[in-house]
Amino acid sequence: MIEFKNIDYSINGKSILQDINLTIAPHEFVAVIGPNGAGKSTLIRILLNLIEDYEGEVLIEGRKNTGWLKSNRIGYLPQNESFDRQFPATVTDVALMGLASSKKAWQRFSRQDKQRAREALEQTGIPHLGSERIGNLSGGEWQRTLLARALLTGSHYLILDEPEAGIDKPGVVSFFDLLADLHKKGKTIITISHDLNMLNKYCTFLVCLNRTLHCHTQTELLTAEHIHSTFGDGLKLIEKDY
Amino acid sequence: MLSYAFLVHALLGALLTGTALAVLSPFVTLKKIAYMGEALSHIAFAGIALALLLGLNLSLTTLLFVVGVAALIGFVSRFFRTEESNVITIFLSVAMALGIILIALKKDYSFDLASYLFGNILLVNRSDLWQLGALVLANLLFVLVFFKELFYLTYNLAVSEVFGIKAKPVYYGLLLLLAVNIVVAVKIAGIILVTAQLILPASIAFRIAKRLKSAVAVSIVIAALASVLGFLCSWQFNLPTGAVIVMVEFVLFLLTLLLCRKRN
Repeated sequence: MIEFKNIDYSINGKSILQDINLTIAPHEFVAVIGPNGAGKSTLIRILLNLIEDYEGEVLIEGRKNTGWLKSNRIGYLPQNESFDRQFPATVTDVALMGLASSKKAWQRFSRQDKQRAREALEQTGIPHLGSERIGNLSGGEWQRTLLARALLTGSHYLILDEPEAGIDKPGVVSFFDLLADLHKKGKTIITISHDLNMLNKYCTFLVCLNRTLHCHTQTELLTAEHIHSTFGDGLKLIEKDY
Repeated sequence: MLSYAFLVHALLGALLTGTALAVLSPFVTLKKIAYMGEALSHIAFAGIALALLLGLNLSLTTLLFVVGVAALIGFVSRFFRTEESNVITIFLSVAMALGIILIALKKDYSFDLASYLFGNILLVNRSDLWQLGALVLANLLFVLVFFKELFYLTYNLAVSEVFGIKAKPVYYGLLLLLAVNIVVAVKIAGIILVTAQLILPASIAFRIAKRLKSAVAVSIVIAALASVLGFLCSWQFNLPTGAVIVMVEFVLFLLTLLLCRKRN
């Protein structure tokens, strides 16, 4: 279970998130929706302790996130993970990052670790790309690499920041099918998304955010008013036409 | 011609300086902090001036000064939320100005600015060589032990931390080691050779090698080759050694640009 309690966050006096109280039950497939600048990524970054100077408290399985994250991992897929396209890393190198915390500094990745990485790449549908340079990947292949890395952490939680960015429609569908499969196998998934059609089909719980929380509810209980209060009249902008 | 002990010392000095910096070069280049090398070497100048003025131990004072200023840069940019690269440039120029003022205050001392810029590798003594040798070993050990952490922190430091990799402590370790390298190397090799040896070997290596591990090896070979060739050319044509090594390395860089174009 993940709990956000009275979260307030502002930068230079400008409020980014205000009075966020939210509980995410285990095994949900949560979608966080909201217009650009609504604070969706900020909320995720607070959860992951990538932002520290906020007010309020975040609890993961009853413990403060800072403490919990010291001994546990979360499978995280950042939005636009920045890297140099010339960086000399392969898909396997990036996936193995998910296992790095279980190794001492001087320990190399073992044959078993590499086997596990192969299995994770197989699970995400890219077993043939293990030794491909990351600079040569398409958007979809890159997201699948990051998903393999997240799976290798062994975490029950998968957190994705706009995973559909940079993927074509068939790619998005098969990626969400993959997530749905992982959800069935017991993962708690939180994804930020703009694609309402997609979310309706896959997600079990919806969080509407626009600086403050406009709704947090089971997907089937979502009303048009919730969406309108979150997005205002800008709704047409977020229904993607591929 | 190498029968003169001082020539052997100079050659070894050039070789060891190049090797030491070339070990760190791929990580410094990938993390895009080669400018830190240049900044730290300028800041070292003020440290050297301070040690000369107060009659303190040169290496230790310079090291403490460089590390202190580097920590101050980190503090100022974070606490006052100022762009780090701007703070570095401000401190770099102020450190140079401070150094020149301190040198001027020590009236009985004639300081050769050119030797500081280009170093004077012909004056390397036995104790310098021991220091450089220790530096090569320390750098190799650091890279061997923390290779995984260095690989991931140069890839993306913030993401590494999310995945529980001890990226920040190793990054600070790298910066500290970089400061030690610069303090030791700058008085022997000069600012320009130090800066060049931090960026050029890896820039060449990444055009030849596919993986980071092999890039470190290629980087060392390139730096060693350039040091020996540069040294021989400078001896042959009676030119400043440090500057010739930089030019040789630059020629190698141009050659790899032309020969390895398709990989770009």
